[in-house]
Amino acid sequence: MRGWDEGKRDRDESRRRLREALSQSKSDLSRSWKIYRRSLLAMLGLFMVISVSLVAIFAEEIAVEHPYRNLQDTEDKWSIDYEPRRAEPFSEECDWHEQKITTNPNSPLFSEIVVAESDDKVGDDNRYYRDTLSVIQLIKLENSLGYDLNLSLLSIDPSNSSLLVLSPELYGNTSLYAGVWVTYEFDNEAMHHSWLPDGYDVCIFGTNDQGHDLFSKVVYGAKVSLKIGLTVATLTVIIGTIVGSISGYFGGRVDEVIMRICDIFFAIPGLILAMAFVAAMNQITSLTIPVWLGILFPIFVLAALSNTYLNSTVPDDDQIIEQAMSLIMRYRGALLALVGLLFFVGWPVAGWPDFFEISEGRNWRVFVALGLIAVLGAIILADRRFFLNTSFEGGLGRIKDSFDWTNPWRYLTFRTLAVFVSLALLFSFSGNEGEELVLIKDFDRLWKVQAALIFTGWPGYARLIRGQVLYVKEMTFVEAARSVGAPPGRIMFRHILPNAWAPLLVAFTLDIGGTILSASGLSFLGLGAEAYTAEWGLMISESRRYFLLSPHLMLYPGMAIAVTVLGFNLLGDGIRDVVDPKNRR
Amino acid sequence: MKLHEFVVRRLLLLIPVMIGVAVFTFAIAHIIPGDPAAIQCGDRCGMVIDYTEEGDPITAYEANRIRLKMDDSVSVQFWRYITDLVEGDWGESLLYHRPVVDVVKDAAPITLEMSFLALFIAYPLGIILGIISAVRQDRMFDHVSRFFAIAFVSLPIFWFAMMLQLFLATGTEHGGICDPIFGTDGGCFPIYGRHDPSYTYPVDGYAWYYPAGGTGFHLVDSWFVTDEKLASLPSEWGSNWLLFKDTLKHLALPCAALGIASAGSLLRYMRASLLEVLHEDYVRTARAKGLSEIWVVVVHACRNALIPIVTILGFSIGGAIGGAVLTETVFAFNGMGRVAVTSIQYLDFAVIMGVTLITSVIFLLSNLIVDITYAIIDPRVRLE
Repeated sequence: MRGWDEGKRDRDESRRRLREALSQSKSDLSRSWKIYRRSLLAMLGLFMVISVSLVAIFAEEIAVEHPYRNLQDTEDKWSIDYEPRRAEPFSEECDWHEQKITTNPNSPLFSEIVVAESDDKVGDDNRYYRDTLSVIQLIKLENSLGYDLNLSLLSIDPSNSSLLVLSPELYGNTSLYAGVWVTYEFDNEAMHHSWLPDGYDVCIFGTNDQGHDLFSKVVYGAKVSLKIGLTVATLTVIIGTIVGSISGYFGGRVDEVIMRICDIFFAIPGLILAMAFVAAMNQITSLTIPVWLGILFPIFVLAALSNTYLNSTVPDDDQIIEQAMSLIMRYRGALLALVGLLFFVGWPVAGWPDFFEISEGRNWRVFVALGLIAVLGAIILADRRFFLNTSFEGGLGRIKDSFDWTNPWRYLTFRTLAVFVSLALLFSFSGNEGEELVLIKDFDRLWKVQAALIFTGWPGYARLIRGQVLYVKEMTFVEAARSVGAPPGRIMFRHILPNAWAPLLVAFTLDIGGTILSASGLSFLGLGAEAYTAEWGLMISESRRYFLLSPHLMLYPGMAIAVTVLGFNLLGDGIRDVVDPKNRR
Repeated sequence: MKLHEFVVRRLLLLIPVMIGVAVFTFAIAHIIPGDPAAIQCGDRCGMVIDYTEEGDPITAYEANRIRLKMDDSVSVQFWRYITDLVEGDWGESLLYHRPVVDVVKDAAPITLEMSFLALFIAYPLGIILGIISAVRQDRMFDHVSRFFAIAFVSLPIFWFAMMLQLFLATGTEHGGICDPIFGTDGGCFPIYGRHDPSYTYPVDGYAWYYPAGGTGFHLVDSWFVTDEKLASLPSEWGSNWLLFKDTLKHLALPCAALGIASAGSLLRYMRASLLEVLHEDYVRTARAKGLSEIWVVVVHACRNALIPIVTILGFSIGGAIGGAVLTETVFAFNGMGRVAVTSIQYLDFAVIMGVTLITSVIFLLSNLIVDITYAIIDPRVRLE
């Protein structure tokens, strides 16, 4: 076995190659950018995508108020008669939140009624915000027949503007008193975003029938849509790539079966299939897997991944493989099982949800498991010479070396990253509910839409990748790799996929736009997001009732969809021009 | 391989896919939560409606379960489903209280009429604009038409349909841009439906004056309305031509909404295909012979550039049926898309299965026809 110093030449060589590869890819990138820049439409698409993404990222800062703000009293002291209040863009009505509030004159507080507190479940995080409403001005007082009463019967408490003081005549007199019209404003920092000057409350796109600010809803909708688009496109690409490359690489009966399954998917129109799938998931409220599956699955994944990794790291020399397999490889399964057991059984018992606010006393499991992950990671990261050594002698040193930046074998590969990312994802999604591991706790309608679109989307990618793999597979370099005995996994990931990524990237970009379209279509049909969510398709669907009276309700969400999808389509076209070999010069 | 062998082979290959689709729809209909027996009897499920021979009471719910044969095992149910399908018994709709076959038979022509007309408009439009765009490559027309093509592909169909309704089907007093030219209320096109509502039965917009055993395609049926029925219609309706015109008028906006995306993508395909062909040797030869540019493009290049376009036809039929779900919702057509949405909303299991099956049959058959056409028109294709 060679010493650390003897490996210096190797390390220098490795660094030189890395530098070369980096500069090569840098020049590649700049050349691609030059080609991309030539097209005005592509630049326009890039600009659109970037601006929509910025809007989505900074939605909270841009929006005028929280889009889900929906005043309802939780204690039944008052209620808002939701008379659909639709303000035109930039109209005067936007400046005051005017609302009729029906209060209970038999309020438990003597001669006082609280008009102003509501608990509201808002946002993606499903947290409750307490919204306080302070009454600015009383507009009119109505009795039960709808006639105006003298306004002096009611007054705003001078010390607390969210209290109304009832006069003695009104108190307890249900027949006399019916409702009060007030103008109000909200007192809640979490709900009100104030880039607008104080007291200046413009609604740029008007308001909808619930009094929600349309501008804020459209802005928040960017967040929802981009999330759906990116999640679905990414997951379909991953599933499609795996299935397609298996199908293309192995061919034969496997290929035949997979392609027939894809044919079935293609035969049913995607939207109808997605609709049926959303309906099929109707009663699922959280996505769970049984604990045993939760233990077995990551272990299998990890074992498969590290197996591929080791296969691709260790050169194909029989002797070396034999040696490498001898110790660590033999106990690899046990090691992974141990980690998995601690990870997925120990922690649920210890209380997963507490992890992010670690409470004292029950954390030893966390740290033990983290330590084990670190050890495992180090083993995976350690250089191949670790496996040459059949004893543990020097093993710790090697692990230390693997964290040394100058060690040539240390560079993270794609798969190592994948191991850690999947660990982290499982880590953050997991929770404990009895016998089941919770993957997605609140499996709401948006998740169902995403699941349905993933379910219907993967065959397209599988077919695309299969074609690419079939094409690349016949090339001589793949044959060369196969002739030196490289395993299928290595050929697949190292030789075939890097040469087949270009159409995949184009399809991915175009698919983000397509997904946003399909998701909004599903929402439009009432099978997508829940009522009054800031989802563009749903907003258009809800605006249909006011089609003639206030077309602005459907105008802006539709434009938002069109701009976003157009941006991604133009971007995809631009990328296609870049990766098109005809344009490479 | 001979052509007829190829056709037979392709037809045989359809069988496993169709069985797969049937399995798939069966599985989905059984996964969807909800009990058809319970849906059918509603709040009267507990009511005792009969007694067994031993004198035990049978509730409405149990009777439904017996009638729908839901107590058999899944495999038995599946086998019965498949055999019934083959025999033409597709079950009965819980919502419409009619056999699914009838529901589909009524709905399919509506969707097909709309989609075919949409593609009929979209194809010439897309192809002609694509040719112009390719010939004038990198000029102003090319840039503009490409931008609009991609923009139309990016538009959400339902939104575009609603915008068409807003601008073309509502009068100027509501913000529309045109007033009626055909003498109806609102804008220049009717806002929804297949007929003028005043002469139809309110339920399902059923038009009583069309022949009962007709094709269901009202563009065709309107020419076969008998004279006595025409005579009973008001004078502005009283001729076959006017009925035809009315149908066409109602189809205009849905077809525009449905066809515009196809036209956009066709333009792009046609442009790319023609540009590729224009660099071929035989085009250069044709030019060298001194043929005029128009002759070269139209006769030599276009004929070859059109061949790959045929394959897209298969996919655009599938896309049109998918898009019909949204278009029909907006324009209140009771076609297959609308039926699919309603059946999924009301958990009408038999209809869900029936509609899915029939759409996939249409899609597969149209793809088959496209493939055969391709094999015929392109002699280079190897039939394997």
